[in-house]
Amino acid sequence: MTAMAAAAAVPSLPAGRVQRTNLRAQMLWTARFRVLWVALGFVLVTLIAMVRIASLAFAGQAPERTSLEEALLPPRGEITDRNGVPLARAFPAYALWFDPKAMGDEGSPLVRSPAEVARELKAIFPDIDEARMARRLASGRAGYLRRRILPEEANKVFALGEVALEIPRETDRHYPQGTLAAHVLGYVVEDEGGKLGMEQVLDQQLSDPAKRGEPVALSLDVRVQGALEDELRRGMLATNAIGAAGIVLDVDTGEVMAMASLPEFDPNVAGASGARNVFNRVTNGVYELGSTFKPISVAAAMDAGVVRDLSKPWNAAPVAVGRRTIKDLKPKGASLNVPQALVYSSNTVTARVADALGPERLRRAMIDLGMDSRPFIELPARGKPIWPGGRWSRVTNMTVSYGHGLAVTPLHLASAYAAMVNGGIWRPSTLMKLDPADVPRGRRVFKESTSSRMRQMLRMISLYGTGRSADAPGYRVGGKTGSAEKASGGGYAKTSLISSFAAAFPLDAPRYVVVVVIDEPKGTVASSFQRTAAYTAAPVVGRLVPRIGPMLGVQPDENRDVDISDLRYLVDKH
Amino acid sequence: MITGLQARSLGWMAVLAICLALVVVLSFKVHAVKSEVLLAEREILSLKRETLLLETEFETRASQRQLAAWNAVEFGYEAPRADQFLDGERQLASLGQRLGPDAPAPIMLARAEAGNGADSGPMRSPLSGAPVTLASASSEKDAGEVFTEAFGDFLIEASPIRAAQAKTVSPKGISAKGVGE
Repeated sequence: MTAMAAAAAVPSLPAGRVQRTNLRAQMLWTARFRVLWVALGFVLVTLIAMVRIASLAFAGQAPERTSLEEALLPPRGEITDRNGVPLARAFPAYALWFDPKAMGDEGSPLVRSPAEVARELKAIFPDIDEARMARRLASGRAGYLRRRILPEEANKVFALGEVALEIPRETDRHYPQGTLAAHVLGYVVEDEGGKLGMEQVLDQQLSDPAKRGEPVALSLDVRVQGALEDELRRGMLATNAIGAAGIVLDVDTGEVMAMASLPEFDPNVAGASGARNVFNRVTNGVYELGSTFKPISVAAAMDAGVVRDLSKPWNAAPVAVGRRTIKDLKPKGASLNVPQALVYSSNTVTARVADALGPERLRRAMIDLGMDSRPFIELPARGKPIWPGGRWSRVTNMTVSYGHGLAVTPLHLASAYAAMVNGGIWRPSTLMKLDPADVPRGRRVFKESTSSRMRQMLRMISLYGTGRSADAPGYRVGGKTGSAEKASGGGYAKTSLISSFAAAFPLDAPRYVVVVVIDEPKGTVASSFQRTAAYTAAPVVGRLVPRIGPMLGVQPDENRDVDISDLRYLVDKH
Repeated sequence: MITGLQARSLGWMAVLAICLALVVVLSFKVHAVKSEVLLAEREILSLKRETLLLETEFETRASQRQLAAWNAVEFGYEAPRADQFLDGERQLASLGQRLGPDAPAPIMLARAEAGNGADSGPMRSPLSGAPVTLASASSEKDAGEVFTEAFGDFLIEASPIRAAQAKTVSPKGISAKGVGE
């Protein structure tokens, strides 16, 4: 066994052969190593290639891609009316940009001569100056040729085949309704943000990426706004007035359903060049609104218990106070009761009622109605009332009672009328659509009983008095006219009036207040050569209410009215 | 000869290769789907933009001011009057009240339905029984215009039917009735 194992352990081979075998094994190893190296090289190259492909596949496109949600986010949020009709939206638009380096070589930026291209452009845009455009193209300066072009114009420019004429897509602010509610919306200036109206107020929210996806709903109703502007324009043109203002206010929530100031401007154009007529007469213009204040003074007196018996006759003779004498425009007799004083718009009786009330209590009522401060509304343009400071004298008290010596905005008046008819609660007005749960509680200014009496008396004014042309059949409109001379240079201009009409409807269950102000109406055929509110402002309300009533859910009914049976005999003697 | 061990490792290699190939195929597929999604997203975007464009154009062309202008020139619609509203069933029922002793007889309007099989050929004269061809049946004119030309506007005014309703007979409808198709 051991001998066999020894024989196997020591091979009996010659030395030369052993060497050859070793050499062969060595060469074999070398060859294998070389193959291995080559294979490793291949693997490495493949790996590098794979990594490169993978990196291209996964990372190459990543920075360019944006999520669908992000791409759909408008560059500036949309503004809609209370029913979701768009009033302002970001709108994809085209611009015409000249890029002389677009061809990428040192030669001419255009394929054809600049004059030829200018002629082609003139055919597309007839308003351009051909020679100037040719010089502009020859100058080789990059820049806008036109800021906004229409899609079909963009197609035509594209068809010219000039690489240097680029059509970049830009976002524009577009107001589909044109001039409608321009003063409420305002406009947008590129790179500066919103100006003037709600565009300025909501600027942060409209440009915040987290919030701008959701449209902002205003309290306006486009249909009501359209009707208001239409009727106001008609009233303004018919009386040859220099301006007009109107507001429709929800009496229970303070939401502004429509607000218009004429003459208007076009926010689609305003962004580039600024605008004229940006003055908002509803929130920024302060006017002495005249007799429309009389119901407020009477309501304050009734609330304080000064006027208890409505049948009590008051002396209607001219009042001499200080150096002034307060007279009635059309005296209706030696004595008038309070309903008659309102129906016939008597300055003397109102002044005497205010005198009995006292300056402090009338002042308190006016402050409670917010007449001493700028109107409560979101808009940045809010006029400061001209408010008699300090302690009110007897004259001040009496003149304020019939709407002189105190200048406020039409919005102030609308809010005060809303408080007078809705049961006595004053609420701040708003341009934002309110959820029923968010309606402010407001503050009580008048008693419920006073408000109820005022509804009767306002209705009587439009049945028997100066507001007859505003009495739209079936809508139970009630309101008061006011015609005040415009203050100018310390005195009053006899020739220029501010006619106003403040109304509420339907007065048996008030829903909306309408205030219409006509600035400097002239006597025309349409207004029977009269300038007073009964012929200028009241007919506007009379035409407007039937148009907006059904839209606002107020159904006309000729069998229904405010119960004035206990007061009718005081005015209507027949 | 291949030993068992070698066969097994070869088998593993093959499985590995197949798996790798499948992974590659799958990743290609994933990428294909991804790019399809991308294309679809792009299409959604462009369609949304187009919708926005068209919607805005529509809103602009049908703006309140434009509608009011058209109404003033073309349609002349007016706000509904109080007597055009009904408060409820009770008021509706009150419309069907019996006439008083001296009340004028209500104006009755003849009307035929152009329903299925209701027509029995061309209109015939009730006196002679001969077929009657209406002048307006073959004309392209609006029936309302023909009526106004023949009888004047005052009849429309006098009719208890509202003017707006009386005028809304479309030329299509009248030709279908008249020709008896």
